[in-house]
Amino acid sequence: MSIEELLSKHGFSAIVSSTEYTRHVLDELDKGIEGISSYRDLYRVYRSIIDRAVRERPACAQVVNVLRDIGLAIRDMFSSRKSVGDVRVAVREKTRYWRERIARECEEAAIIASHRLVDGATVLTHSRSTCVLKAVEKAREEGKKLEFYVTESRPGMEGLLTASEIARMGYRVRLIVDSAVRFFMKDIDLVLVGAEAVAVNGAVVSKVGTSLISLIANEARVRVFVVAPISKFNLETLFGELVELPESDWRKLMSPDVLASLPENYVARVPLYDVTPPSYIDGIATEKGLFAPQAIPVILKEVYGSWPPNILDIEDLVEELDRLSRGW
Amino acid sequence: MEIPAKVLEIADGIKAMRIRGAGKIARSAAEALKIAALEYSGPNDEKVFRKYMAHVADLLISTRPTAVSLPNAVYYVMYRLMTSSGSVKELRETVARVADQFIVESLEAVRRIGEIGARRIKYGSTILTHCHSTAAVSVIVTAYKMGRIERVYSTETRPFYQGRITMKHLLEAGVPAVQIPDSAVRYIMHEVDHVVVGADTVTSNGAVVNKIGTSQVALAAHEARVRVFVAAETYKFSPATVIGELVPIEFRPPEEIVPREWIEANPGVEVLNPSFDVTPPEYIDAIITEKGVIPPQAAILVLMDYFGWALSKMRHGEAKIRFEDTIE
Repeated sequence: MSIEELLSKHGFSAIVSSTEYTRHVLDELDKGIEGISSYRDLYRVYRSIIDRAVRERPACAQVVNVLRDIGLAIRDMFSSRKSVGDVRVAVREKTRYWRERIARECEEAAIIASHRLVDGATVLTHSRSTCVLKAVEKAREEGKKLEFYVTESRPGMEGLLTASEIARMGYRVRLIVDSAVRFFMKDIDLVLVGAEAVAVNGAVVSKVGTSLISLIANEARVRVFVVAPISKFNLETLFGELVELPESDWRKLMSPDVLASLPENYVARVPLYDVTPPSYIDGIATEKGLFAPQAIPVILKEVYGSWPPNILDIEDLVEELDRLSRGW
Repeated sequence: MEIPAKVLEIADGIKAMRIRGAGKIARSAAEALKIAALEYSGPNDEKVFRKYMAHVADLLISTRPTAVSLPNAVYYVMYRLMTSSGSVKELRETVARVADQFIVESLEAVRRIGEIGARRIKYGSTILTHCHSTAAVSVIVTAYKMGRIERVYSTETRPFYQGRITMKHLLEAGVPAVQIPDSAVRYIMHEVDHVVVGADTVTSNGAVVNKIGTSQVALAAHEARVRVFVAAETYKFSPATVIGELVPIEFRPPEEIVPREWIEANPGVEVLNPSFDVTPPEYIDAIITEKGVIPPQAAILVLMDYFGWALSKMRHGEAKIRFEDTIE
């Protein structure tokens, strides 16, 4: 039996990081626009991609922000009646731009986060974050001596992948169950995690368990840092929308044969994300620098030029594209 | 002097972990003392009999050096022998009677704890429990039958998934129970009214040693102002902690967390598997024993009431009592 098969009875599934997910959506968009021959076709492709992203990763702010930006470009081109060929080229340019930008801002945020990984520190991380791994890589390049604790991060157990990847960089890694975080917190100097979304009040939506870890860190006066490029900031929360958090079921905890061994009326509730309040977060590392969560409105004002940022709700944008593409 | 084969068999069963669970171990030890007394075949000399019993007592205690219920059961029986006088025949009967008394009380304790604890549960409550504890399940099921409980969340409890055993017992009793991953404890806490858990050991200052993860469940409850109840028989209170003896925390094999194949494929990752953690008394609202509900701060009084004799012995010597040394 392969390791994956052995792990499948524990519900091991390769949950991708939110950065990877955004890249994947950009690839899908590129593929989708290849065959379009009308505005309507493009609208349908765009809409199905948004619907799917909202269904699969409803809390992922980056994918919404990126798709909004691309949608705005499409709207402008629809309005000025550009040819379908021109629109296709423009969308492809946009996806390339975002692919590069996401990589760049993740790297820049990671460099800023890596400054916090001081020589000799023991770091705890949870789940699997592209930007956290990048920060560890940067620290490694600088020859910093670090040690790591990684939680297995149920449901999904993608912590196993994180542990492997950090160990391959040559760092000493200890893998622990999610329940052992408080037991080991006294040995930890710093918690470093990624984010699915950052709300404007500085609350961080991340893999379930992150808020518990942050609470434990707070109790032990251990600092908590989040790596999150500004594209992960959830601007929708400005409208007072709550970040919708998806839940799964037993499928993320075990294989069907394990379920068969449990009582017939066995039920599991499996949240995938949780919200860490800003009070438990010491700093958010972005491409623009390290900020206290309370400083986020200030950054947003700087980035978007106004407070509150003047942004279009993605649903409204989709409606507008629907209207503009009719009869074309 | 020859020790009866049945006594050796029990001692070996405890040592080899064929006899498991704090309650079973304690009752088996009492049973072994009873058998030893009834099958005593030495000379009709009170001193020889006392020495023989002391030898058996020491042997039993040595089988599991970290267990708490085991020495407590032995102290319970041996104390009555040491404070009794009479012929060998009378002493043998005393041991048998006291051992039986311990066994009955211990079996009765779970039911008593269920009744006492259930009265502490508010009507319409949602309960969260961690791991599997017979005493905690007794409280929950009793309270459910009284119509006080609407829903129970049970954590999976990695690495061994004892939460699945809890689910089985609760579902069999008709209790609406839902499993959650250990990482979701803080996420779910705002729906919870009471946390009810068991204990492996209760220390003299009211700290509770229990399955890894208990302390972070209690912390999350404390943050949310949710009450935490610990269901624990009095024989789980540890006299040795009064003299500052630490409760040793066992690290179990890494294969309990991930398959050996994964460990071999990841030589740079060390898998750490502590099995217990310590919940400080500040996070515990009440300890439910078969003798009544106590605040954790009153643990010392329980110890003085039930094991006062052992305490005074320990204060003058080692953390563990050697009964043979007490014989002239």
